[in-house]
Amino acid sequence: MAMGIINSTEDLRHPLFTTLAARRGAVAALPFIASNGAAGIVMGVAYKGLGLGFLPAVLFSLIVYSATAQAVILGMWSVPPPATAMVVACIVTNARYLLMGVHLRQLFAEVPLRKMLPTLFLLADASWLMTTADSERNGPDAGYLLGSSIPMAIGWIGGTALGYGLPLQPAGALSVAAALLPLAFIVTLLPTQWRGLETALPWSVAAVTAMLVTSLVGQSWAMLIGGSAGTLISFIRGDDV
Amino acid sequence: MSDWRILSTIAAVGAASYAMRVSGFLAAGALPNTGALRRLLRLAPGNMFIAFAAASCFEGGWPSLAGGLSSLTTMVVTKREWAALTAGFAAAAMAAAFRPG
Repeated sequence: MAMGIINSTEDLRHPLFTTLAARRGAVAALPFIASNGAAGIVMGVAYKGLGLGFLPAVLFSLIVYSATAQAVILGMWSVPPPATAMVVACIVTNARYLLMGVHLRQLFAEVPLRKMLPTLFLLADASWLMTTADSERNGPDAGYLLGSSIPMAIGWIGGTALGYGLPLQPAGALSVAAALLPLAFIVTLLPTQWRGLETALPWSVAAVTAMLVTSLVGQSWAMLIGGSAGTLISFIRGDDV
Repeated sequence: MSDWRILSTIAAVGAASYAMRVSGFLAAGALPNTGALRRLLRLAPGNMFIAFAAASCFEGGWPSLAGGLSSLTTMVVTKREWAALTAGFAAAAMAAAFRPG
């Protein structure tokens, strides 16, 4: 039997934002302090190489807080900075957050906006994925989203500051760990989503499409387009009916 | 280059980034909560997960593929995240160390 993200209407009537779930999310995401920290160090070193000051470098990671968007913007950097083009690039690379937001609304429809809007400032791919999986195991609780997001933000912002301030060369095991952790975390969630052989075809379509998109357009669009292709196949076949 | 120009660029990009994070959430409040939309959102996460994993392996090459497969296998067998992550790192590090060229 297929398990749903929204387990029942009961979940929607009693949305939660608990400290307990926030703590559970924070503990589960602790390794991201290291991995996001390592990636942030790389970003900090790159910002220093551009000639940015320490404060603007840290503010980039604090205010924009998107590795993909920041990496794209880094490649567009010139003097003076092309602000309009950078804003457009940020919107395009972060379009996947629209889908995540729609999904989160399904889970946390009645959680007050005064709690959700600040929490969404820290929304990241990994915290969304982890929250989705946790909501299936323990029921929807927006506290988990906040809790899992905090270590990721600490790692990314702190790593940027460290990378800028220290004479580090990101290479070897550091770069391997930084590159692998998001992937490793996501694949540990896959078993919770496997619904038997009916899953094989849509997942194959999603994977192949994602790899095609990566080779043609870039990785930032791969999850959105590949995932949508697989979802469409599942939807048309009525896999969850 | 003046600091205000850099800071205003950071502020503009930051505003765009936050707008993307909240827009889907806010817009969804105005969308009909129909069965079709629910089904789509219920089916989406697994497909998103596998698309993310496939793209990451494709982009990262052999170390990412070895690490990802090792993490997945360990998770299926042990159901322990820490074991899956450790196995993934070890496999990725070995694949990176022995990568030809």
